[in-house]
Amino acid sequence: MKLKKILFAAVSAGAMMLAAPSFAATELSVQRFFGACDADFGTNTDATKAVGECGIITSLINKFNADNPDVHVNVTTVEWPGYDQLTAQFASGDAPDIVTIHESVLSDYQSKGLLMPLDDLLKSVGVTPDAFTDAARNGATKDGKIYGLPIDSWTMLYHVNMDLFKQAGLVNADGTPIFPKSPEELLAQAEQFKQKTGKPYFVQNLTNETALYTRNLYTYLFQQDSDFFADPKHVKLNTPEAKKVVEMYKAIFEKGYTTKDLDYGGSINAFLAGEGGVHLNGTWVVGDYNAQSETKGTALNKGGYAVYPYPQLFGGAHAQYADGHTWAVSQKDRTPEQIAAIGKFLKFFADNDFEWSRTGHLPAYKAVITSDAFKALPHRNTISAVADLGRPLPSAVQRQFAIQDIIGEEMSAAISGQKDVDTALADMESRVNELLANI
Amino acid sequence: MADRLAMSPTATLAVGVRAPTADIYAPQWRNVIFVAPFLFFFTTLLLFPLLWGMWLSFHKADTFSSGNFVGLGNYARLYHDKVFLQSIWNTFYFVLLTVPTLALIGLFLALCLNRRTRTAAVLRTLFFSSSVLSVTIVTLIWRIVFIPNVGLLSTIYGWFGATAPAFISDPSLAMVGIAIATIWWCIGLPMMLFLSALQQIPQDIYEAAALDNANRWQTLRSITLPSIKRTFILVIIIQIVLQFQLFGQAWLMTRGGPNNLTKPIVLYIYDTAFRRWDLGLGAAASEILFILILVAAMAQYLVTRSRGDQA
Repeated sequence: MKLKKILFAAVSAGAMMLAAPSFAATELSVQRFFGACDADFGTNTDATKAVGECGIITSLINKFNADNPDVHVNVTTVEWPGYDQLTAQFASGDAPDIVTIHESVLSDYQSKGLLMPLDDLLKSVGVTPDAFTDAARNGATKDGKIYGLPIDSWTMLYHVNMDLFKQAGLVNADGTPIFPKSPEELLAQAEQFKQKTGKPYFVQNLTNETALYTRNLYTYLFQQDSDFFADPKHVKLNTPEAKKVVEMYKAIFEKGYTTKDLDYGGSINAFLAGEGGVHLNGTWVVGDYNAQSETKGTALNKGGYAVYPYPQLFGGAHAQYADGHTWAVSQKDRTPEQIAAIGKFLKFFADNDFEWSRTGHLPAYKAVITSDAFKALPHRNTISAVADLGRPLPSAVQRQFAIQDIIGEEMSAAISGQKDVDTALADMESRVNELLANI
Repeated sequence: MADRLAMSPTATLAVGVRAPTADIYAPQWRNVIFVAPFLFFFTTLLLFPLLWGMWLSFHKADTFSSGNFVGLGNYARLYHDKVFLQSIWNTFYFVLLTVPTLALIGLFLALCLNRRTRTAAVLRTLFFSSSVLSVTIVTLIWRIVFIPNVGLLSTIYGWFGATAPAFISDPSLAMVGIAIATIWWCIGLPMMLFLSALQQIPQDIYEAAALDNANRWQTLRSITLPSIKRTFILVIIIQIVLQFQLFGQAWLMTRGGPNNLTKPIVLYIYDTAFRRWDLGLGAAASEILFILILVAAMAQYLVTRSRGDQA
């Protein structure tokens, strides 16, 4: 009888010990975009060995889970940008704990009281806003409080196939590419490129796309000092400045200086296959493209890959459109353990921002952007300028993704010749204002 | 209280004595219990959302708050919204492209495969197999076909040194591209309906026609087609109701572009209500779609009924 009791006690204790870790782990639900790549990086915990946005973020979260047995992060990957799902999740009271949100979108959710202010939580884990770069801090601050942990600043770039640029004679004596300084020069260089290489100057994803068009417009409106969002509730887009930009892209389209009919994936394949000189894409592909250029036999390996901010085509401010990614936390009742776990997660990403900056995004932390390790990464000497050039829309402008869709649709119609430029600009302006008037 | 309890058995007994045969068909309140489960789900899942949608359409509401009463304001906004008017036209254009084609190809396939051979059986299965796929898979397949440079169509055109038509991005072809994918996806059901109708035509009529030396064309026109007239109308009704609700294919293949030329009403509703958070406007657009489908279904119902009476 005594033996039986001892045995029973031992078995119970053993079972408790086995079960304890899984009971104690605090569950966190994390929702993100950046793609799925579990086949390649599903079990990798060494972020230094990962490449690209998806690879690095997957590996970082794996590492966080491995380092913190008391916290378990469940990741849901959504298709970019995932805001339709997120809105539905918020509406049904089933939002994830931590979620990727663009700085340009934070105010949509923050203004409805759906996000948790992070100032105190970040302070408790030793992350203070003065560690952020100015761009990151401004982007993540709404009504004087931090509503997302910034992880980067990003913008669109000129990704260059140097082999084709050499063939086109568009290379300086020091080996750097020659870029235009005005819209006229851009068209002339694109013509020269087409003549010499037989290929279009630009590789653009013009199909199923709105973001690219809109970001291009914003950049060149900034460069003309057009204060189109002087009033965050009322846009002015039917202007001579906007017309200049749309007409420039229309000429590029009509004269065959760009690829046509490609969607996003198609445009990446086309650029990697050497089908055009300049790919207009974001900071997020720098790491991937650089890896390609180091692989023998690829189009980018032939003559090299270079990447630069958009050239200054107009006489106004030196600026280009920029945004940033953040980790935002949904507003919910939580236990102190859950809040502490969220703090750990955010601190982990703040500490590992260098790994994330290997994607090509600019770091959100002063210590990283000024570090030698960051400066030593390929192409950072040319793209770091974006830290000063980058400019978002005024943070009081709401529904920026919906506005992006409207502007993109109308620009696409004007550039491809389905609408004349004046009608498209008038429609664009009235549609955006109608949207803003009804928020 | 105690008195009443004591009284009641006597009262029941008295009623029982006076009316020994109770009418079991008489309306009784407790019968509500039998329909209650249905009524509960009907009210909560159908009636309440329907009425709430109507209520929302008269309000300026977003996803997280219901705002002020605006009367017919949302409907006035829709009336002046070029994109909404375009989306109504797109939906009708899509129905026009797909429904007759589905009916005719379905009929043609059914006529060809209405045999007892093994090849016909295999082909019937093959033609029906696309119907079991989800919209995501269907659009994925057709995007791979249509995608420029590396797609199947481009490869085939490439063999002849030609450029493939841009079914996803060309303004005049985008809707046709979506229609092709939809027809490929939906062809199974009309074919099966026609097959079952064909197999119900009595063989002796065909024998009589053969004795009268009727040729194939005469047999088809005078016997087969009149015999399956009702099925033809059924196929048309089913397909109109189905294709009016186009959403997945347009969203996944073209995102409604280029220039909103492939944006159907449902996608417009999704865009306004869930992507722009303009729930009131989205609800108003839903009411318009509701009325359109109602009118189409009623018109079809009336047409079928009068034809049925004549027959």
